[in-house]
Amino acid sequence: VTSPLEVAGEAVALAEGDGAEAIVSSERSGLARFAGSEVHQPTLIEDLVVQLRVRRGGRAGVAIGNRTDREGLRELVRRAEAASAAVAPDPELPSLATPRPVPDAAGYDEQTAQLPADELARAAAPAIAGAGVFDAYGFVTSGATETAIASSVGMAVSQSRTDMTVLVLAAGDDASGYADATARAARELDPEAVGHEAAAKAARTRGAGDLEPGRYAAVLEPYAVAELVQTFAGMTFGALELLEERSFLSGRLGERLFDRKLSIADDALDPAGLPRAFDYEGSPKTRVALVDEGVARGVVWDRRTAMRAGAGHETTGHAPPPAASAWGPQATALVVAPGEAESTEELAELVGDGIYVTRVHYLGIVDPREGILTGTTRDGTFRIRGGAIAEPHVNLRFTISMPELLAEIPGLTRRRKLVNQSDFYGSRDAVAALVPALATASFTITGSGARPGL
Amino acid sequence: VRDLCSLAVEAALAAGARYADARVVEIREQGVATKNGRVETAADSETAGIGVRVLVDGAWGFAADRRLGRDGVLAAAARACDFARAAPGGHKRELLPVEPARGRYTTPSERDPLSVPLDEKVELCLRAEAALRHPDVKIAVASVRARRERRVLVSSDGTEVEQELVECGGGVDALAVGNGISQLRSYPSAHGGSSAQAGWEYVQSLGLEREAPRVAEQAAALLRADPCPPALTTLVLDAEQTQLQVHESVGHPTELDRVYGTEAAYAGTSWVGPGDLGSLRYGSELMTVTADPTTPGGVGSFGFDDEGVPAARQPVIEGGVLTGFLSSRETAARLGALRGGSMRAEDWSRMPLVRMTNLHLEPGTGSFAKLLDGIDEGVYMETNRSWSIDDKRLSFQFGTQIAWEIRDGKLGRMLRDPTYAGVTPVFWGSLDGVAGPEEWRMYGLTNCGKGQPGQVAHVSHGASPTRFRNVQIGVSP
Repeated sequence: VTSPLEVAGEAVALAEGDGAEAIVSSERSGLARFAGSEVHQPTLIEDLVVQLRVRRGGRAGVAIGNRTDREGLRELVRRAEAASAAVAPDPELPSLATPRPVPDAAGYDEQTAQLPADELARAAAPAIAGAGVFDAYGFVTSGATETAIASSVGMAVSQSRTDMTVLVLAAGDDASGYADATARAARELDPEAVGHEAAAKAARTRGAGDLEPGRYAAVLEPYAVAELVQTFAGMTFGALELLEERSFLSGRLGERLFDRKLSIADDALDPAGLPRAFDYEGSPKTRVALVDEGVARGVVWDRRTAMRAGAGHETTGHAPPPAASAWGPQATALVVAPGEAESTEELAELVGDGIYVTRVHYLGIVDPREGILTGTTRDGTFRIRGGAIAEPHVNLRFTISMPELLAEIPGLTRRRKLVNQSDFYGSRDAVAALVPALATASFTITGSGARPGL
Repeated sequence: VRDLCSLAVEAALAAGARYADARVVEIREQGVATKNGRVETAADSETAGIGVRVLVDGAWGFAADRRLGRDGVLAAAARACDFARAAPGGHKRELLPVEPARGRYTTPSERDPLSVPLDEKVELCLRAEAALRHPDVKIAVASVRARRERRVLVSSDGTEVEQELVECGGGVDALAVGNGISQLRSYPSAHGGSSAQAGWEYVQSLGLEREAPRVAEQAAALLRADPCPPALTTLVLDAEQTQLQVHESVGHPTELDRVYGTEAAYAGTSWVGPGDLGSLRYGSELMTVTADPTTPGGVGSFGFDDEGVPAARQPVIEGGVLTGFLSSRETAARLGALRGGSMRAEDWSRMPLVRMTNLHLEPGTGSFAKLLDGIDEGVYMETNRSWSIDDKRLSFQFGTQIAWEIRDGKLGRMLRDPTYAGVTPVFWGSLDGVAGPEEWRMYGLTNCGKGQPGQVAHVSHGASPTRFRNVQIGVSP
């Protein structure tokens, strides 16, 4: 047994009971982490994990393991069956997904998948060199993953994906700037250019000053937009949050809640992202309009939440892996529609007076239902005066209402950027958001933090 | 397993490594969660593999492979060396010399949590969760977990250690929804409950079913409570929020790898410099913080860290002055002080990092009531809800699940959505009360993230309730 789909089929065949489904995820990845312009923390991983869900009389139990020899799979089956025997029948347990055609999703690049360890290490060199006079901190990472799903009702799908990210913080004692870039193929990235972008930003952050707390208009670079919108999505755009009345959209679907310029979708099939063909139930991925010209249109569903909601709801192809089922379906391929501004400088002109934010740090969810977040800016915060980017500021603490931030948007850029949203915890599952830079009329600063730099 | 580790080390040395270590880690974990009367999760996980770390010409390499056989082990050693040889940089990394460690360590426990049948775990959760039922509580959740880690470490320095760490925990959460808002209450701790390195007796001692009605009542009452108003006032924190404050504003900034900048691109650096050791005033004289991987029950306890350094209690802050860092063999050698002993990897697939072990705020004196004595006006906050701190661990903002006004030394009306903000040395400098040993509680967190690729560490913190003066509370957009 060699391929993930074969392993999945073997695990299902060994299981007894009313049905079984196996999700097999393989990973071959490498991450060259650097600090002070030296690689200091490399991680090369070869793994393959089987998640097996066995059903028996309306009960389901899950076992997870990474032994794939016959004895290892038998042990996995035994533990999954023991788990299913320990629980009561679950009336909300959907039947096994029947196989459906899955779309083509060109998410794989052979050259990236075959990148050897020494070449990955060398790929860090241009990223570091790009930081120029500054020391470079960050990483270059690439990964090849395959997800295969088999079930006792004939599901048999698999998809190989690749991803690569270059991330550079160019920093000195009193200056720091940030940039990253993500693609499905290594050849689409220019590590040196990422270093250059970070260094150019860093050079403008020296002599940073404080800023009086208060409400400011702001221009947010794609890095900041991606993290803010992704965090907001995690507490807002999932069906479970909606059904449990934890979402800002609870009771508000169909209402115009945001600026007309704002449209957000979840679209794992967008070729400009990291394409994915199916979810962890094997259901085909679909594009879901979450916000359409300011109107809250929908959330993402899996089969469990759709069954619970009834009333004609169906899965949108957003089931989480069994080990993360408690989180419910999540929007992890966010696409924010572009605007008409040609650059962030043009957005600054629209704002006139405000602040410019490169990146945000350590977001905390203050009130999930109201979409209130706190965090700090980092590695490139500037004042906007007279429609131009002006003097640098220290890192600023903000406490913001995301619905307010998105309620008045003077503009967005025409050009969008694919921004990595993976911290690569656990098994590799690369996700990224495709977003423009965005200007907002409302960004509330509540304090000052540390200066830029180390 | 020990032979496989030795094989990896020998292969790495033969491939040119000056130093090599190999770690086989097997982790078995069970998790059960019930939600509104039905089983949400019943999962049983077991994963294993080997991680090989090498130093070649002063550069690190690390490769991990799930295949616990000759092929997988040799492949990991070769890939680690290939990477290290190609890694850009000047590379003059040195490790603090240590005595080769040999030995075995096993968590003391009475009842193996993994031997407790899953149906018993499900029953416990369902009973606890049933006790959360309340007309205003829309989501009731109870969860328990059990875990066993087996770690074998062999290094080219002659270290050969084996450890078996046993851990379990649990908690309950009640989410009340009404009046257009939602309010969460948790016990014994937020974000998944609390865990300990101990047998199942720890989970039984939590009294989840006993505490659940209070948790539900408070969640419901919060729907009708007034919002916490903004003020500059005296703040009293319960032990649970105090330990998170210690974690974020003392633990992370005293990790010596952060101090040296190696976390700069992700978690950040530190407001503390290496030259501050022994002189920096971190907080008031009432502040004494100790790192102690020997604490019974701590989820950061071990016999040896992942570099084979034997566990030992080390001061970090004494009487408000910085007297220690959390360190590794590499960072201690660079500093020219300390002994390492805080290197931990999440599992076989991750390289060890400087991590907290068990980091405690040592108790002061007196009862909780004594802490409130003399406060004309203030606020008492309990149980973490949100947390955020800047990249140098200076500017922070925390929210808790619940608060009460303090008037004339007594708790008054309940307040919802409490937050407070501050700057680390100013905040700890305003500490003017730490309750005594009788109020000291230890919590085990299982969600401490760090590193790229990300790693989750389990760490424990003990603390008593604390009192701070002139704190900004009630921060809102």
